[in-house]
Amino acid sequence: MTDIAVRVDHVTKSFRMYHERNQSLKSAIMRRRRSVYEDFLALKDVSFDVPVGSTFGLIGSNGSGKSTLLKCLANIYRPNQGSITHFGKIAAMLEVGSGFHHELSGRENIFLNGSILGMSRKEITRKFDEIVAFSGVEQFIDQPVKNYSSGMYVRLGFAVAINVEPDILVVDEVLAVGDQEFQDKCYQKFRDLKAAGRTVILVSHSMETVQSMCDHAAWLSHGELKAVGSAEPTIKSYLDSLSHDG
Amino acid sequence: MKYLNEVWSSRELLFNLVSREVRGKYKRTIFGQLWSLVNPLALMLIYTFVFGLIFRSNPPPGDPSGLDVFPLWLLCGLLPWIFFSTVVSTSAGSLVANAGLIQKVAFSRIVLPLSTVGSTAYNWAFEMAVLLIAIVVAGGFVWPWIPLLIVAMALLAVFAAGIGLLFSIFTVYFRDTQYLLGILLQFWIYLTPIIYPISLVSNESAKHGGLLGTPVTLLGIYDLNPMVHFVAIFRELIYDNRWPDPAEWLICVIWAAAAAGFGMLVFRKNEPKLAEAL
Repeated sequence: MTDIAVRVDHVTKSFRMYHERNQSLKSAIMRRRRSVYEDFLALKDVSFDVPVGSTFGLIGSNGSGKSTLLKCLANIYRPNQGSITHFGKIAAMLEVGSGFHHELSGRENIFLNGSILGMSRKEITRKFDEIVAFSGVEQFIDQPVKNYSSGMYVRLGFAVAINVEPDILVVDEVLAVGDQEFQDKCYQKFRDLKAAGRTVILVSHSMETVQSMCDHAAWLSHGELKAVGSAEPTIKSYLDSLSHDG
Repeated sequence: MKYLNEVWSSRELLFNLVSREVRGKYKRTIFGQLWSLVNPLALMLIYTFVFGLIFRSNPPPGDPSGLDVFPLWLLCGLLPWIFFSTVVSTSAGSLVANAGLIQKVAFSRIVLPLSTVGSTAYNWAFEMAVLLIAIVVAGGFVWPWIPLLIVAMALLAVFAAGIGLLFSIFTVYFRDTQYLLGILLQFWIYLTPIIYPISLVSNESAKHGGLLGTPVTLLGIYDLNPMVHFVAIFRELIYDNRWPDPAEWLICVIWAAAAAGFGMLVFRKNEPKLAEAL
């Protein structure tokens, strides 16, 4: 019980693919019926457990349902069937700098973004210096963020998100940003989180990243779970399947 | 109840979003916050010219305040109306405008429409303060009525929030709502005694009596508009300086509670589906 951070239990998620969608009143009235759609199964009956303190990689080709699963984990989508249970506070980093206001300064945006991600004002004040130091934008912290370079923007967003310090962190492919120095900083931060016994779930297309960071992995293909377990065999079977196909 | 708790726990986020709106809005303008006065002043000039001077709508003087200034009489109804219509139209678009955020971060979505209520209320409070000063200069005695005025403002804010929540959900499913809403609000302002006194309606109604042989009068139908009662309360408090009819208070409380209750119910039911629907 206590050694499981997240339990994914028979999760199925489908989307409606609209052929003709009634998004305007006119079409709704003219057609006089519900929109025409087909269900598309993005996730089919996926179940696995993520152990506490692990760094868990989700791998698979494009369109395999990784991002959908991640959004379900992050409470943005609700699964149609099955359930996802979190044991601890969860935070998701699917995009950095969501909710930044361009005219406001970096300082104001740290508070704004932090509270969107669920931090209290007190917490942000406490971690403020750390966030600024991590982002490396000290000099420009009182400038409006619209004047930031895209790298600075992303670094600030990432610094806020990583300092939420949840028990479980869900990360989409956001690591591919920033220069080498910043990326190293990020990996170091992930290792620190791991050392502190926190769980990280990440999606990546880079097998190198997954190999070097993750101890567990799950492989998804067309919405189905192909393999789950220790990182190495899972990655190996995924890579094998690729070389067979192509 | 549980839902109210969840909303309450996001108050800090709500506060931050409101201050984002307030601080971001007039950035890089020379006159800053003064701009929020320009719109009501421009409308005041237009309506005073057309309805005060040309059509001579001649509202009765304030009783017992004795005020007889058309622009002030107008603003007592117009400022609450501008607040209401701004809240409804901006919160209607708030979910669509923040689609990116909704699809990427999990948080209590209700703060998005509610934050527009907060930021609009901030401007409104500023406008009302200026109006009160003008009324005092003109000879009105408003000071004892300020606490009640704040209660009335809060009631209208709750009512507007409820309507705004409803329209924010409609707009997600039917993007036409935002355009339809503009027309609806146009009708609505002329169906509310803001630029003409309600006595014109009651006189007309008395002339016709019961419509088509029923006891339903023109005024009875007209009174179904909740804004009629809100405007009446504001006029009585600020312009007439007297205690508003308790029946009016009751009607406003009922409308506010009904709108907020229904709005929250609809919002809550649709909240989990928003990320996909947008």
